[in-house]
Amino acid sequence: MSSTTAGRGPNGDARADDFLLEVKNLSVAYESDEVPPVQAVDRVSFSLRKGEFVGLVGESGSGKSTLGFAITRLQKPPAVITGGNVVFDGRDIREMDPESLRRQRQGGFAMVLQSGMNALNPVRTIGHHFTDIFKAHGHVQRKDWWDRARYLVDKVELPPGVLARYPAELSGGMRQRVSIALALSLEPRLMVFDEPTTALDVLVQHAVMDTITTLQESEGFTAVLISHDLGVVLEATERVMVMHKGRIVENAPSDRILSDPQNDYTKMLLSHYADPRAEKVSLPGFEHFTRADAGVDTPAGETGRASRRLVVENVSKTYPPPSRGDNPVRAVRNVSFTLEPGQALALVGQSGSGKSTIAKLITGVEKPSEGRIAFGDLDVTTLPQRRLRRLHEDVQMIFQDPYSAQNPVLTVEYQLSRPIRNFTQLRGNDARDEVRHLLETVGLTPAESFVTKLPHQLSGGQRQRVVVARALACNPQVIIADEPVSMLDVSLRAGVLKLIEDLRRERGVSLLYITHDLLSARLVTDDILVLHEGEVVERGATTDVMLDPQDEYTRALLEAIPNPARAHEERARRHNRAESQ
Amino acid sequence: MTNTSTVRLPKGPGSKPNMFRSFARSFGVIWSNKKARIGVIILAVFVLAAIFGPLVAPYGATVNTFPRSANGSAEHWLGTTAAGEDVFSQLIYGARISVLVGVVAGGLATVVAVVIGLGWGYLRGFVSDTINFIVNLFLVIPALPLMIVIATYLQNGGITVIIVVIVITGWAWGARVLRSQTQSLRGRDFVIAARFSGDSAPRIIFREILPNMISIIASSFFGAATAAILAEAGLEFLGLGDSSIVSWGTMLYWAQNSSALLTGQWVLLFAPGLCIALLAMSLTLINFGVDVISNPRLRETGSRRRRGPKGTPTPTDQAGGDADRQFNEATEGADNVDVDVDVREVQQ
Repeated sequence: MSSTTAGRGPNGDARADDFLLEVKNLSVAYESDEVPPVQAVDRVSFSLRKGEFVGLVGESGSGKSTLGFAITRLQKPPAVITGGNVVFDGRDIREMDPESLRRQRQGGFAMVLQSGMNALNPVRTIGHHFTDIFKAHGHVQRKDWWDRARYLVDKVELPPGVLARYPAELSGGMRQRVSIALALSLEPRLMVFDEPTTALDVLVQHAVMDTITTLQESEGFTAVLISHDLGVVLEATERVMVMHKGRIVENAPSDRILSDPQNDYTKMLLSHYADPRAEKVSLPGFEHFTRADAGVDTPAGETGRASRRLVVENVSKTYPPPSRGDNPVRAVRNVSFTLEPGQALALVGQSGSGKSTIAKLITGVEKPSEGRIAFGDLDVTTLPQRRLRRLHEDVQMIFQDPYSAQNPVLTVEYQLSRPIRNFTQLRGNDARDEVRHLLETVGLTPAESFVTKLPHQLSGGQRQRVVVARALACNPQVIIADEPVSMLDVSLRAGVLKLIEDLRRERGVSLLYITHDLLSARLVTDDILVLHEGEVVERGATTDVMLDPQDEYTRALLEAIPNPARAHEERARRHNRAESQ
Repeated sequence: MTNTSTVRLPKGPGSKPNMFRSFARSFGVIWSNKKARIGVIILAVFVLAAIFGPLVAPYGATVNTFPRSANGSAEHWLGTTAAGEDVFSQLIYGARISVLVGVVAGGLATVVAVVIGLGWGYLRGFVSDTINFIVNLFLVIPALPLMIVIATYLQNGGITVIIVVIVITGWAWGARVLRSQTQSLRGRDFVIAARFSGDSAPRIIFREILPNMISIIASSFFGAATAAILAEAGLEFLGLGDSSIVSWGTMLYWAQNSSALLTGQWVLLFAPGLCIALLAMSLTLINFGVDVISNPRLRETGSRRRRGPKGTPTPTDQAGGDADRQFNEATEGADNVDVDVDVREVQQ
């Protein structure tokens, strides 16, 4: 911590002019009449030099976004700045009135939000979004408006044609680029990116991040990148501030964070990154997982719970076209695979690859257009909706979003007791004991203290454990896990993955693991199917595919995984290139 | 961090699900809204007047032994009617009918709306189409003429008939609103999860979806009650109810019959009219407060931080729990680390 405390009081520093933004002892609280104020940001101090690109990393609830909003004074009630000051270019923005603040947005600071791509007005063309801003600030002459707009979209690597389009006609990645261009249109000296790529696809994410880094280098604005993903931040920024519980716990150059992290929390975050292409992959909780383990330790098979295989034969799913004149959407094209009893199979692909559609087809929520799905002797494709219960006795699902998969008004006990009541013979006290037993199985102990909880009283990780417990309640043969950890904080992921892995091995259930994240697929599955635009492009043993990918698309997916170590190398490479010039 | 099972349990208000507590909290939210508070006070005055009417009223409602058509005086604050009854006493007794009709007719119409609206929203196919046809039928028929037709057909059957008429004509709008909300909840993960748990459709509708719509149901109840009070007064005024009972509607009816306005006794029309307007207004004002429950962003003085599924019906609870969790997290760890950036080091 010595490196971070030595430079106290930048006021007395002769080079104070170098600072674009100085934040001193800033505290932000969420105030409410009903509960005590929540201190989201607690006496945080830092400074940004002109032209610097700084990352701000933390998990959900760490206060990173609140801080980002506070330094651009976009915080809204109930968030209140309770102390400290923010000096932007020599002026304390806390004392500015709304009008000068508005003017400050031109040539001052701008913010790009995670949902920025949804912030575009659906009934106005992209071009109008630009002219609206020019009109409001008057910094561009009327005759130059469209030239300027074309110049800006070119900056974010979009063709000038997008100016005539409506937001709905653009993809998520394009819309996020537009919102970056809009932020740029005011020639800001400070740009705050709040999770700019989180809502985007893995591959698109990568491309947008590239655009941001390139722009930052060419335009020379000062930038803050807020993200929960240390990998993304380390790849892009020069300096990283790690935030935890409202405080900045570490503030060091990116290289040093990687090579020599000082804070325990930073170390913990770093430990959750690994390269799925390595011979040996280890995460906290998954220490010994080498290539050899994967194939040898096949689950119990006949001795386990699963006895029926799930067969998917030449299945296609075509949705009607979104609007007349369009082509029908072919979500799944001629996919075949077999999930053997006790097998763990990964379905991997980015969104739109058809992996979630396959889950819906298997669970009978939707019917395939062509092909056949059979579970043992049960033909899923011809099963009427009200007979689906027979399928759900043995095929259960773990949902992606632990926040929406549980009814906010029902207790844990109620949620777990329903499948027990519907699918097993247990009643009364036996059923109650089973609920507690399930909670203990998923690591929620003491079970008694969890049964009366409502979902909002649980953390994200705990919620996901309850979702897992509910899937296990009827003792199913097959579990379909649809991105079970993608909504969780990095530090919680390994725990939930380990739980799924252990339960699979102990109970011998078959697992269909749907994900875009190859690292987790490597950890919990034996075999893998890579889907691209509804088609299987590669299949094989998970380790083989990871170590020696054959398909172009698989390689692209592997490339897109944020990886601090690789970021380190890339940074060094860029640095060398810069020096040689 | 590998073992999250030892994570401390968040303590929030309402650690145990408790009907009374959540009701008290909802009431607190309504009370904290200025408009709704005024509404609650006005409603409370009327409800108290209805309950304790005989104790409060100076005379009986049908005692007609007083001088006829008298103006306001110390004995008769608002004067007397053409039949020689005390207007102020009638006003107090009249509150009973209006409050009763509001609660019963509004309540029944809401129950019908809930059953039909939720079923309609959750089910698909033939059932849904049939309900759609029936509801649209009730929506397009003008309510007042229909009420008049039914009321005349049923022949002065008293207050019960009026309630029946109001329920028949008043449920369709609520059903339509509840159906839309049900349709949006139907696609939620937790509803799909309930299907995976093997629950039947009625159980999913009433145990999973219904509790998530309490605030919208409450607001549709207040809306229906307002409409019921106005409709009752309207029917009575037109003489379609039982004109022998004392209600605000019949007061208007008799006042009109005795040409109160022409004789300068405008109070006879004004007082019951004002009461009807005030009661209807109080319910509408309370609805502003109910809106706040379902959308915390409308809160006047600082709402709590919100996170989690959009539009969950009890975001109050949701936000409360999250805020508490964050509060606990934020207050943990006693050491205060002031972190200043050392620029020189960074530059190196």
